[in-house]
Amino acid sequence: MHISADMLFWVQQKRWLLVALVVGAILYFFVPHPQSLGPDGYHILIIILMTLILILKEPIPLPAIALQLIFWQVMIGGSTANEVGGYFMNDAVFFIMGSLMLAVAIVSQGLDKRLALGIIHLTGNKSWRIVAGFTAISAILSSFVGPHMVTAMMLPVALTLIRYTSDKGRSNTGLIAALLFSIAYGATIGSIGTPSGGGRNVIMMNYWAEFGSGSLSYIEWMKMVYPMVLIEIPITTFIILKTFPPEWQNLDTAVRRLSVEVAHAGKMSAKEIFSLFLFAGVLYGWIVLSEDYGLGSIALIGIFLFMAFGLVSWKDLSRGVNWGVILLFGATISIGVQMKNTGGAAWLAEGSVNLLQNLIPNIDALRAVVSVALSGVLSNLLSSSATVAVVGPVVLNLGGDPILLGLASVISSAFGYFTAVAAPACTIIYSSGLVKAPDFLRAGWKMAIMSVISLALVALVWWPLLR
Amino acid sequence: MTKKKPLFDPKSLKFLTAVSSVEYSKPTLKMGALIASVFDASHGVVYVGERASEFHGSSVNLTRTNLDNWNIIHPGLEVLEWALQELKKLSPENNELAKIQFNPDHVYEEDGRVRVMLPEEKGCRIELVLREGELVDQLRKEIQLENYDLAIIGGSQNKRHLAHSLIQYLPSSIFILQKFNPRKKYKLLLLVDDSIATNKSVEWGALIAEKLGWPVRTLTVSKTKRFGAGYQGAADKAKAYFDSRGIEVEQFFLTGDPVRTFVDFAGDNHFVIMGASTLNPVKQLLFGSKPIKTLEQSDVPILIVR
Amino acid sequence: MTIYIDVLFWMRQKRWFLFAIAYGLVMHFVVTPPTDLNPAAFDALIIISMALILIVTEPLPLPAIAMFMLFMQVVLGIDTANNVASSFMNDAVFFIMGSLMLAVAIVSQGLDKRLALGIITLTGHKTWRIIAGFTTISAILASFIGEHTVAAMMMPVGLTLVRYAHKDPKKVAGLTAALLFSIAYGATIGSIGTPSGGGRNVIMMNYWAEFGDGSVTYLEWIKYVYPMVLIQIPFTVLILLWTFKPEHSNLDSAVRKLVIDVAHAGKIKGREWLAIFLFVLVFLGWVFLSEDFGLGIIALLGVFLYLAFGLVEWQELNRKTNWGVILLFGAAISIGIQMNETGAAQWIAQVIITNLGRVIDSPAVLQGSVSVLLTGIMSNILSSSATVAVVGPIVLDLGGDKILIGYATAIASAFGYFTAVAAPACTIIYSSGLVKSKDFLRAGWKMGVLSLVSLLGLSLIWWPLL
Repeated sequence: MHISADMLFWVQQKRWLLVALVVGAILYFFVPHPQSLGPDGYHILIIILMTLILILKEPIPLPAIALQLIFWQVMIGGSTANEVGGYFMNDAVFFIMGSLMLAVAIVSQGLDKRLALGIIHLTGNKSWRIVAGFTAISAILSSFVGPHMVTAMMLPVALTLIRYTSDKGRSNTGLIAALLFSIAYGATIGSIGTPSGGGRNVIMMNYWAEFGSGSLSYIEWMKMVYPMVLIEIPITTFIILKTFPPEWQNLDTAVRRLSVEVAHAGKMSAKEIFSLFLFAGVLYGWIVLSEDYGLGSIALIGIFLFMAFGLVSWKDLSRGVNWGVILLFGATISIGVQMKNTGGAAWLAEGSVNLLQNLIPNIDALRAVVSVALSGVLSNLLSSSATVAVVGPVVLNLGGDPILLGLASVISSAFGYFTAVAAPACTIIYSSGLVKAPDFLRAGWKMAIMSVISLALVALVWWPLLR
Repeated sequence: MTKKKPLFDPKSLKFLTAVSSVEYSKPTLKMGALIASVFDASHGVVYVGERASEFHGSSVNLTRTNLDNWNIIHPGLEVLEWALQELKKLSPENNELAKIQFNPDHVYEEDGRVRVMLPEEKGCRIELVLREGELVDQLRKEIQLENYDLAIIGGSQNKRHLAHSLIQYLPSSIFILQKFNPRKKYKLLLLVDDSIATNKSVEWGALIAEKLGWPVRTLTVSKTKRFGAGYQGAADKAKAYFDSRGIEVEQFFLTGDPVRTFVDFAGDNHFVIMGASTLNPVKQLLFGSKPIKTLEQSDVPILIVR
Repeated sequence: MTIYIDVLFWMRQKRWFLFAIAYGLVMHFVVTPPTDLNPAAFDALIIISMALILIVTEPLPLPAIAMFMLFMQVVLGIDTANNVASSFMNDAVFFIMGSLMLAVAIVSQGLDKRLALGIITLTGHKTWRIIAGFTTISAILASFIGEHTVAAMMMPVGLTLVRYAHKDPKKVAGLTAALLFSIAYGATIGSIGTPSGGGRNVIMMNYWAEFGDGSVTYLEWIKYVYPMVLIQIPFTVLILLWTFKPEHSNLDSAVRKLVIDVAHAGKIKGREWLAIFLFVLVFLGWVFLSEDFGLGIIALLGVFLYLAFGLVEWQELNRKTNWGVILLFGAAISIGIQMNETGAAQWIAQVIITNLGRVIDSPAVLQGSVSVLLTGIMSNILSSSATVAVVGPIVLDLGGDKILIGYATAIASAFGYFTAVAAPACTIIYSSGLVKSKDFLRAGWKMGVLSLVSLLGLSLIWWPLL
């Protein structure tokens, strides 16, 4: 009796796992593979379909999803364990691991208090200027160091400001939303700016190298994409202020109390200066040396130095990193490569082009629309990095200039404004419990339209000038 | 079969109240504290928050750690802090409780479960726990982990679906406080039939009635005109039990569809106590059970004793 | 002022790190590589020797050393970042990862306690008998199902006993080390016993077939090699007891607590049955399916099942799995692959052969000592399978009785006693964080001598009889 109740509960909780398995089994055993696609490619696509179901419904923890990706590839995907292992690990995964660890190392130094002081100095105490300042700083910082680190450092500043403005009897939901979204959206629009702005950028670079479709250096990437970041910053500020008008015109007291609190920190210690110096070294390495050594190796060097100089302990690093996520990225990249190798990616690309050809006759426009739409929609469901890992091989198989299409796909995968899962920054502010899911929709659709237009602008006006 | 000993030892009971927010959970918490004091049970308060997408788990953790450095605590801990203050207000005579201070730094965190460390002195048996994830799953885990006897849960907006899962899957007795108004005068309504669970629900009912002084009614419903020996005997036994403790009981015998009759009789001024269903769980899932249907159709607080 | 003190203190703490760096710089910039060795291979050797210095003296946390090995390959230009990364992950690393996670899952179900109790009922409460029991069981199991599996399975059991012996395992360091090493070394010495004891045995059998040197059946292998396992078991127990000197001569109180806890947990419940069932499945998979899918994939499948059935929470796995050790193991494998690909491994083999050839005249003795020494040393640097794969052809080429030389090589490849990354069994016990890397050296050299002597005895006395 008790056991059957347990089993029933399990079935109820895991029903989507069962659905995925049943769908997979039916496709595997009863549906023959299409004429134009070999059995291996077909099996890889089945695995991807099952994984998509699992990620969307999350009946099992994400790391378990990563594990099933790995063993299915060996069991039905027709590759050996060592092959999967080889594709699993690459520079992008090292980069994701390294940048999570760097974030832990930097944030634990307490530099955010100085950052807060700096921002306040720049912006003064007018609400709109603070929102603008938060957006701009988040965007610029996150374009170099990734949104997760920026959000982790900025969120306390925003929440402290909010705490000091809270006034009994007067609601301040507008101010809360404006400050939090300026961080989240700022960090998100910034993350496209350079290759080190996010794991997905490195994943795309990795695919370019793996599929032999040319490459972009760090500086070239910046030249092509950074204008878009700069255009988006003021418009984002405007959208946030319009959607969530703050209740206060200026935040005198809050700003004053924040600067008093922060001033306690005193002069910068040698340790802080040294860690800033190390971090600057890593940034320099990314910008100048990444073509030779790869972004991931440089991140590892940085972490190694932080540990060697005793600035952070392995225990903190290991605890601060969710290893399941690293497994997941490794696993999705390996299936992405397999999708390309087995021809599954090309088959999907051809299929979608043929399907839509009647709608959009211009082949170039069609390719662009497919890559942007696919990445933009999926990133709201799957998170942006996983989207690039899965969609990347398909996009690069569409034909056309793989660099431009890849860039468009990476940029549009940052359009995850609608849900809390899409971008790390959105998840973080959502987890603060102060903004609700509908808020993401309210501001998100404006952000999406704005981003699509600026992407079109950059792609049609700016890129032709460069290439 | 008559048992000399009561089916439970009140001193060793453990109750769990689920709170969700400062605005909505006040009546739930109040009732939880009240009923825990009636049974002299130890009282756990759990807050189940939403879990952030695992994709960005590392980033969220990092941010949380950094927020701690800035002395900004987890929103769930704020609710728990509020809960502790409320519990103090509810029993001002409890000096031990009044001494306890809430310290957000003093927590024990393991595998997504955060327990606030409180000094375990006598007279204060309170646990404050923060969990993140899906509500039913987390409540079930908490109950299994700490062996709670009763879960006290507020009625919520999408109650139909949720309540169904709660009754179906929580391994303890369940108290669902839908439309509960602490200021209202309630009558205790005991549903009596020949199932085993009835014995226990009668004992619980007696204790509650004794301490709160609410009038007691027992209701026995039969589908046919004739009341079999089982039903009659159960009702008599219940009455005898109340009599032995000096509690007055009004007995009712009605005929008709059980659930419909319960719901109509209960109206909105009763406080229903009933035994859990003994049906096979698969049947419960497919066809529902008396407690599930009663809960779905009525608007009164229901205590389901298991 | 204080800054200088800080810096000086740091230098004192990290002197071995500085030494390793200085050594590396001198080797790379000052010393010219031997003419018959290409620069990339020379660099690979530099990295590996620096890493060995760091691993043995431990001035840095091991994961930092792992990262060091990885990025140095890129910085010195041995290979591109992507290739280094992909050599990092393979089935062996999946296996270590999966089995460490499985161990966490088993502990969280409390199965380790029951198993520990079962073993104790067999051995009794005396410490030396318990150690002997652990060594014997690990050796015999490992000889049939492989050392990896046994170490992964027994480690949680050993840890449980340690925890019961004292709240703080550091206080009973001797006992802890003796117990954990009895698992690792027991599994290692056992792994030579049958062809299924380790992948390298199968590699050797393949070579025999490929080189047309006749073939060996499962039973023949046992006849030739198993006596060595049996001889080594008692000696290993003695070495462990002698080296680590357990603090207590019996574990009465620990066993009593264990008995109470197991009794308290009551009969095996539904969830535990499920956990046992899943583990048996994984185990059968290891035995029967690993040819097709690889040990690692099956271990990961097992972890997946544990997660899917809700028997363990991911947070617990994330927190308790020693990810640093996985990094280290992967990095060691990656540098091993580079050794092989750049030709550094072959170069070492040649150097040893030529040098020994000058000292020893008799070809038969030369052959024997070359194969054993070469394999023994290399297996502490490369993984044992890789060693056999590299050394096998070289040794079989030397002439003489290829079957006997092959046996000697396969046996010597199990002499990976000296470092935490020498063999998976060693890595697994190291992941507990309760044994130091110096302990491997302390007990390892004695084990090395023992194994050499018993191999010698075996080949001089037993094999001629057959």
